[in-house]
Amino acid sequence: MDESQLIQRAANGDTTAWEPLVVAHQEAIFRFAYLLLGDPDDAEDIAQETFLRAWDHLKRFDTARPLRPWLLTITSNLASNRRRSIGRYISALTRAFRDDPVPPNIEEKSLQRIEADHLWKAVKQLTFTDQQIVYLRYFLDLSVTETADVLRVAEGTVKSRLSRALDKLRNIIQQDFPVLTEGREP
Amino acid sequence: MTDMEFEKQIRILANGMEYPRTPNIAGDVTRRLRSSIRPRFISRKLAWSLTIILVLFSSLMLIPPARAAILEFIQIGIVRIFPQPATPTIEAVTTATPQSIPTPASAPGSDSQLLFPFLDNIAGETKLANAQLAAPYPILLPTYPPELGQPNHVYIQDANGVMTILVWVDPQQPELVTMSLHFIPTNSWAINKMGPVVIRETQVSGQRAIWAVGPYPMAMRDGNIEITRLIDGHVLIWADGNITYRLETGLSLEEAVKVAESLQPIP
Repeated sequence: MDESQLIQRAANGDTTAWEPLVVAHQEAIFRFAYLLLGDPDDAEDIAQETFLRAWDHLKRFDTARPLRPWLLTITSNLASNRRRSIGRYISALTRAFRDDPVPPNIEEKSLQRIEADHLWKAVKQLTFTDQQIVYLRYFLDLSVTETADVLRVAEGTVKSRLSRALDKLRNIIQQDFPVLTEGREP
Repeated sequence: MTDMEFEKQIRILANGMEYPRTPNIAGDVTRRLRSSIRPRFISRKLAWSLTIILVLFSSLMLIPPARAAILEFIQIGIVRIFPQPATPTIEAVTTATPQSIPTPASAPGSDSQLLFPFLDNIAGETKLANAQLAAPYPILLPTYPPELGQPNHVYIQDANGVMTILVWVDPQQPELVTMSLHFIPTNSWAINKMGPVVIRETQVSGQRAIWAVGPYPMAMRDGNIEITRLIDGHVLIWADGNITYRLETGLSLEEAVKVAESLQPIP
């Protein structure tokens, strides 16, 4: 049974049809929420809510469209709201005072992961809109078309926004994380 | 590095990102869908916070002096201070507040311990110039005491608006915070500061200001449970336009006012 058939069944109230769709997309949704919010508990809340909201609106979903971009749009909206919410606010403050739940073991952590962490810190300095586009394109590896679908903008807009976001990111990296580009000049 | 090479580099770096294990969202979603009652969208952390706050608030309300105190508060900018008239034998607590940077205690009788061992873990550290770019208001620096210099750490946090926190540390003990200055925009979540022992009204450049001496709460977290811990400390709070300022310091009131009145835009 393909995705559109499962969606149609789910839209008619069949939760057993919705479950495999959630399984298929939960990792991307959770990771996107994690990237946007930086906290696994927040990300899990948002991911769950994404699938519940989508379920509520399945009847209005065009089954000719791929499901993932629509889910990512919902995730993005929820994460955006969450960042402004008191729950997020409390989380951010409390996170400031807690030990890293998974203390990085520098010896065991690969250089690649350390560099990815640095990149993430650099991306977090961008605006929320710029963060979204960078996460979708480079962290979740979505195509320009899919990214446009998630952000509900034209593909040309994705390209121009991406270009601007990358310029800003390059400046941040050069200033704060030069190690990410050192020794990589052609 | 060309734009294309930079883009490629970003993609390679992003591929190295380590994510937490994806939880069993499908199972939880299915369970919730099959349940006739869908819980309201509320995070577990927020639920814990609200529960703890509710319990503590209720406890305080059972005690007449505390009840009286709770019903009245002093507001400066967006900060509401709930006086605690009696000796605070009750550990007055509140919601997590942007008292993010506890300063070392210098209240009489307090221990001069390292109160802020987690400086490296505060979210949102940035450079002063970047903070000024992000903040839609001028970030001001104290010019008093003259030897103070620029802050050792600068943080910006999303508090429904850009909150800026400047932190100065003891040069001999970099883990010891000596002073912090918070810039809190009007639209931020209201701050409830409960239980300061000493409150004095004063002025900063002709503006009404409040001087409060601890204890004040510091939000902490253990696993999924958020707790608050009381820290002794002094804080001077005043507002100017859309910004509420909090100066946390071990200095005396007179010295703190001098610091507050010395604020100047970044040169």
